[in-house]
Amino acid sequence: MLKVENVVCPFCGCLCDDVIVYVEDGAIKGVEKACSIGRSLFLKHREDLSLPSIDGRETSIDEAINEAVNILRDKKHVLIYGLSSTSIEAQRKALELADLIGASIDQTTSICHGPTSLAIHQTGIPTCTLGEVKNRADVVVFWGSNPLEAHQRHYERYSLIPKGMFVTEGRRGRKLVVVDVRPTPSSRAADIFIQVRPGEDYEVLNALRYMLKGGKLDGEVGGVKVETLKSLLDIMLSAKYGVIFIGMGLTMTRGKYHNVEAALSLAIELNSHTRWSVVAMRGHYNVSGAGMVLLWQTGFPMAVNFSLGYPRYSPGEYSAVDLLRRKEVDAVLVIASDPVANFPREAVRNLLSLPIIAIDPKRSLTTMVAKVVIPTAKVGIETEGTAYRMDGVPIRVKKILNSIYPSDEEVLDRIIAKIKGEERNA
Amino acid sequence: MREFCLITGRTIKQGITLHDGKTTEVYRNEVGIVYLNGEDMEELGIIEGSSVLLKTDYGQVVVRAVKGDLPKGMAFMPYGPWANMLTSANTHGTGMPDLKGIKLYIYPACEEVWDWKRVLEEVKSVEG
Repeated sequence: MLKVENVVCPFCGCLCDDVIVYVEDGAIKGVEKACSIGRSLFLKHREDLSLPSIDGRETSIDEAINEAVNILRDKKHVLIYGLSSTSIEAQRKALELADLIGASIDQTTSICHGPTSLAIHQTGIPTCTLGEVKNRADVVVFWGSNPLEAHQRHYERYSLIPKGMFVTEGRRGRKLVVVDVRPTPSSRAADIFIQVRPGEDYEVLNALRYMLKGGKLDGEVGGVKVETLKSLLDIMLSAKYGVIFIGMGLTMTRGKYHNVEAALSLAIELNSHTRWSVVAMRGHYNVSGAGMVLLWQTGFPMAVNFSLGYPRYSPGEYSAVDLLRRKEVDAVLVIASDPVANFPREAVRNLLSLPIIAIDPKRSLTTMVAKVVIPTAKVGIETEGTAYRMDGVPIRVKKILNSIYPSDEEVLDRIIAKIKGEERNA
Repeated sequence: MREFCLITGRTIKQGITLHDGKTTEVYRNEVGIVYLNGEDMEELGIIEGSSVLLKTDYGQVVVRAVKGDLPKGMAFMPYGPWANMLTSANTHGTGMPDLKGIKLYIYPACEEVWDWKRVLEEVKSVEG
C-alpha cells in the first residue's frame, strides 16, 4: 500500500496539510489525522459520482461540453455561480468566461461570509494568520461559530490546543470564550460560554464597545447580564494577543453585515489597549481563494456583472439569490457547488425553470436537475491546484489518484476556446 | 399557535453524510431533521424520532424531530434542502438571505419524512 504524507484536505477552510492517505489499486484505502468529515471525503470520493449527461441522458464529455457552449452562446444573461470548492486556476477560468460572455459571476461567499466582505468595506479588518494565532494568541473568542462541528481540527491545530512560540503551555496558556445562541460541542469546551438571545449579537457587541469607552450599563443586554459582559471585557483587555473568530451566527442573522461591523469595530477599538485580530471562519476549502481571484481581476470579491464589458459590483443586485429571485438570468453555470440544496426555496424554484449547466465531480441535487452535467476530477485528490486557507495563506493541494475526467480548469478552458472559435485538444 | 425560532447550521453528521451523496437515505436521516428542546417536545406532544410538519412564512417541510440541547423556543436544523424549504430568499439588498432566526411553527405529522424528490416537488408547486 502506498503511503502519501502531508496531503491537504480539500473540505473546509482549515486546509489541514498533515493528512496521511493510503492508496492501493488506484483507490484510497485508509486515512490518518483527518477529522471525521475529512475521512469521509477521502474514503467516499468515488461514491455517488456524476456522469456526463444532457437532459438526463448519458453522453460523452465532449458532447456535454458542446451543449454547454451552445447554451452559453445563446443566452443573454448567464449567472456563473459556485467556485468555492475548486482551485484558483479553475476560478480564474470561470472569471475569464464571465468576462467573455458578459455574465454575472457570484461565489458561495454571498450566502456565507458575504456580509463580512461588506463590513470590511466599511471598517477594514485587523487580522492575522492562523500561524500567529498558534504562536501568540492567549485569548480566543469564537462568536457565532461552532468549530468542533464545522472546522473540527481548528482547536487542535491552530486556536486552542497547540503549543506555540509564546504560548508554551498550549491549552493551559489560552482562554477560550464562545458566544452563541445555543450550547454546542464548541461551547462545552470553553472556559466561558455566553449565550446571546437570537438576533441580538449587534446589541451585545455594541454594549462591549460602549463599556470599553467608559460607558455605564446595568441590567442585561441581549439576554446577557452586564456583569458577564464586564468580565468578558476585562478578559479582552488583559489579553496579550486576542483573536475573535467570527462565524455564520453573525452573517446569517438579522443585522448581517452590521453585526460583523460591530465585531470588527470592537477589535479595532481594543487595539488602542492591546493586540486584537479578527479571522472569519471560512467554510468551503477555497472560498477564500474565490474571493482573492475575483479581487485581483475585478477589484470586487463577489456579485460582479460584466454585461457592459467591464466589471460592476452590486451585492443585492448581482448576487446569485437576488438574480434568481428577481428572475433576471436566463441560464446558470454552476461550478463545484449545489445551489439547489443550499438556496432558499423561492430562489430554487426560479433556478429549476432555467437551463442549468453543472460542473461537479459528485452527484448533487443540482446535477440531478441540470440540463447539462459535466463531471470533473476532484481537486485535491485527482488533480492538483492552489487553494487559500481561511486566513488567506495559499496552499498547494495534491493529486493522489488519476481520474478519467478532466479538471474543472480544463473543462472551462475548452468551453472558452469553443466560444472564442478556437479549438483545444481534448 | 406557539412560535419558535429556527436556527440553521452545520453538524458533523451532515458533513460526513454529504460525501455518501445527497440523494442517499443516510443523508436524509441526518439532514432531514429538526432538533428541539425536550420540554417543548413534551408540550407539543411530539415523540423522539417522529415526523413533524414545519411551517414558516416561506414554506413547509416534513422532517424527523430529535431532542437536542437547545434553549426553550429554539429549533435547529442542519443546512440542506429540508431547512431551505423554510428560509427566506429576501436578502434585503445584501446578497445574504435570512438563514437564521426565522419564525417557525411546528405540528405533529403522520407523513413520512420527505425525500429529496418530494422536496423538489414542493419547491415547484409554489407559484410566483
